[in-house]
Amino acid sequence: ADYTLTISSWAPPTHGINARMWPTFVEMVEEATDGQVTAELKMGLAPPPAQMDLIQDGAADVSIIFHGYQPGRFVATKLIELPGYEGSAEAASVAYWRTHEAHLAAANEHRGVKLIALHTHGPAQLHSSTPVTEMSEIAGLKVRIPGGVGGDVGAALGATGIQVPAPKVYETLASNAADGVVMPMESRRGFKLTEVAQNVYELPGGLYRGSFAFIMNEDTFADLPEDLQQKLEDEVFGEPLSRALGAIWDEIDTVGREATLTTEGNAINAASEADLAQFADITTAVTASVLEELSAAGIDAAAAHEMVKSEMAAN
Amino acid sequence: MTAALIGFALVLILVLLRIPIVFSMGLVGTFGIVWERGGDLLSERGMKAAMSVVGRQITDTAQDYGLSVVPLFILMGLFVNKGGMARELYAVSNAFLGHFRGGIAMATVAACGGFSAICGSSLATAATMSKVAMPEMRRYGYSDELSTASIAAGGTLGILIPPSVILVIYGLLTETSIGKLFMAGIIPGALGIFFYLLAVRYTVWRKPDSGPAGERSGWDVRIKALGSVWAVLLLFFLVIGGLYGAFDFAPLNLTFSPTEAAGMGAMGAFLIALFRGGLTVKSTFEVLRETSFTAASLFAVLIGAQIFSNFVNLAGLPEALINLVTVWDVSPFMVILMILGIYIILGCVFESLSMLLLTVPIFFPLVTSLGFDPIWFGIVVVVVTEISLITPPVGLNVFILKGVVGDVSTATIFKGVTPFWIADIFRLALIVLIPWLVLVLPEQMGAMGH
Amino acid sequence: MKPVISAIRWLSPFPVVLACLALFALMTMTFFDVVLRSVFNSPIEAATELTRILMAIVVFSVLPQVSAQAGHIAVDLMDSLFFRWRLHNIRDGLGYVLCGALMYWPAQRIWILAERWRDYGDVTEYLAIPQFYIGWFIALSVALSGIVMVGTGLLTLFAPRLLERA
Ligand code: NA
Ligand code: NA
Repeated sequence: ADYTLTISSWAPPTHGINARMWPTFVEMVEEATDGQVTAELKMGLAPPPAQMDLIQDGAADVSIIFHGYQPGRFVATKLIELPGYEGSAEAASVAYWRTHEAHLAAANEHRGVKLIALHTHGPAQLHSSTPVTEMSEIAGLKVRIPGGVGGDVGAALGATGIQVPAPKVYETLASNAADGVVMPMESRRGFKLTEVAQNVYELPGGLYRGSFAFIMNEDTFADLPEDLQQKLEDEVFGEPLSRALGAIWDEIDTVGREATLTTEGNAINAASEADLAQFADITTAVTASVLEELSAAGIDAAAAHEMVKSEMAAN
Repeated sequence: MTAALIGFALVLILVLLRIPIVFSMGLVGTFGIVWERGGDLLSERGMKAAMSVVGRQITDTAQDYGLSVVPLFILMGLFVNKGGMARELYAVSNAFLGHFRGGIAMATVAACGGFSAICGSSLATAATMSKVAMPEMRRYGYSDELSTASIAAGGTLGILIPPSVILVIYGLLTETSIGKLFMAGIIPGALGIFFYLLAVRYTVWRKPDSGPAGERSGWDVRIKALGSVWAVLLLFFLVIGGLYGAFDFAPLNLTFSPTEAAGMGAMGAFLIALFRGGLTVKSTFEVLRETSFTAASLFAVLIGAQIFSNFVNLAGLPEALINLVTVWDVSPFMVILMILGIYIILGCVFESLSMLLLTVPIFFPLVTSLGFDPIWFGIVVVVVTEISLITPPVGLNVFILKGVVGDVSTATIFKGVTPFWIADIFRLALIVLIPWLVLVLPEQMGAMGH
Repeated sequence: MKPVISAIRWLSPFPVVLACLALFALMTMTFFDVVLRSVFNSPIEAATELTRILMAIVVFSVLPQVSAQAGHIAVDLMDSLFFRWRLHNIRDGLGYVLCGALMYWPAQRIWILAERWRDYGDVTEYLAIPQFYIGWFIALSVALSGIVMVGTGLLTLFAPRLLERA
């Protein structure tokens, strides 16, 4: 290959991000450029919140960021984290990209880097050591939830938030420092939750959806010949990559679900109709306040919210 | 790969010129990143990339939540000192072992082991025990060789028997569970005490007048001495029991994360020292000051190491090593033997932390890709770094003894240490050949956590 | 030169006291976090971010003094050689000046990063403490470390007597 991009990744080595998403990215890039551009993966260069600085300054060429790790910086990205959207991670990721193009880009929150994909993990559910079968049982639990919308929803349900980086989740649960954790189904395998949080309380759209972006150094992109740039823009960056990444989140969720169903002592408890109605009520305030934040950031929040919903329904 | 190896050589040269480790590793790492990201050593783009890494490493390392155990465990060790617990440990082991030939040296080793259970640093263990045990051994006519060596060697246990600052740093570098690493250190640490006791026996067998028998203590004395170590036992139980899940029952349901264990240990040691009248406002500040300074220099070294490790990573050294092993078809066991050989050679010159920081980023990916257990490798690395502390010509524990005792030459101490060094090599072989010794306790822990 | 040195010596306890207080607060907070969590089932939610900030205060308050007082971990294997040839002052002096001068770049970059965090509005999770304050503090500490190292190095080279305590 004429150009080799350096990927910086912070996820655990075997996590789907490293095992599936980056290889898919490399495949797509190679295919679009007839092998002229490729990329190699470097793990553990820096912790998650440092990634955007590293990419901006060219310490690596491409990286993945989780918007929730940088409170204050990302507001527009909270739109996709809201509870209440039903559908796959693939549908959500496609809707996310399209809504970004139409509305969210106005906030210009990824300034300094080139945004090449937006995606969400599957609906995040509550995983706990003691069974939770009714929503009222969540109140008083100590729960690890990342910041942003997830934290607000947790607080609305009366849970006490605990801050723990993802790789420490297993230890935290094993040591009872937390009663539960809110993560997508894939974590049941990736973070071995089947061992330390045997019970899942499941809501169709989850408590929230985590928001991710793939970002690229602007100079690295500008240095590529124009024809390659064009091919990448047409065939990889934006919707195609976002869709592919969302689809991988769905796949690894399935693996986590199967691991749960085949592990003795594990249970998935679906929320009752009554609980769902109550959840919708409880989260109205969270949604309203997030939409307000979006408006303050210069976004047509109501239109953007509608667009996500209709795109997801259509997909 | 060439770039990384040149970088490695440059770091060695700078370190030997007595440039502080943080600057040796940081500087080479920085220019390495400039080279990797910019294509030459002075490119503006490479410089920007490298400085971004350096800047973020400085701001992130000092704010790494997991690293908060480091100052807290150092703090605990210093408060423990003020609480007079080293003396009590020594009294109790002396009451039981003192009347054997070489018994006071054996008591010293045992007390070192006990002190290691509440102190996270080998240097601190050696320094503390030398103040307590050295005068006693001199009083009974022990040879300088045996008395200094038993403290220098016994002190190395500080980083193996939990808590351990070095294990914490290994855990953070490799994302390995610190709780499990601590558990894994217990049996090898106990083996260490046992082998050192044998080394004492051997020494007094060869030279009977190097360690005459002391007085036999009556059971009344022994029981009284036992009664006085409650504080040590309490602290150890609080920290290690808390990590292991000993308080994990209703209504407490309390198990500590490493940071919490360190915080509880520090607070416990502080309160004990306070109630025993060992602390004034001034001495408390002195302890806090010393901890801050030690922590700052440790964090600085870590930052330098992280910068260098980023360069090594970008230069592709770990992948290249893995490739080499695959291409040459070296058996995994041979790889481990080679790595151990490298460690023992490096151990001549380096002290524990720099050795760990310099090598783990390079060897760890290789070792785990060959299917070895990360926890087991951590303990192996700590045992070889322990050995480095008493390997000439640069053995920090030996220097500590020299510093505290004064009128004894390092050559004498190194000579006395030889049987202990050989005991260490036996222990290392045992751990390498029987990983079960390391892994049985942490696996138990996994099973107990539900 | 002497008054400057004594002024610096007079000022030097203040950052140390700050570090001591931060460290004591860290210990106490961790203790109470555990107690509150286990006994009252209500941990200190902001404990993690406070831990981070307190650690930064501990480390970077004393960093300039650690840097100036040969507090950095180094390997002294060849010391006897340097002493024998009476080169140790030159070696130490040059080392200080060089390493101190090089701190200019990290200090500058951390300042740029901090300004960037300010521009993006980065704050901590629970208490919404702006990240750039911490960045400023660290940049200042690194810059100060560089300056005192250059100073110590120059004195070591040209006026080693001034460094001796009266
Ligand atoms: Na220890
Ligand atoms: Na050595």
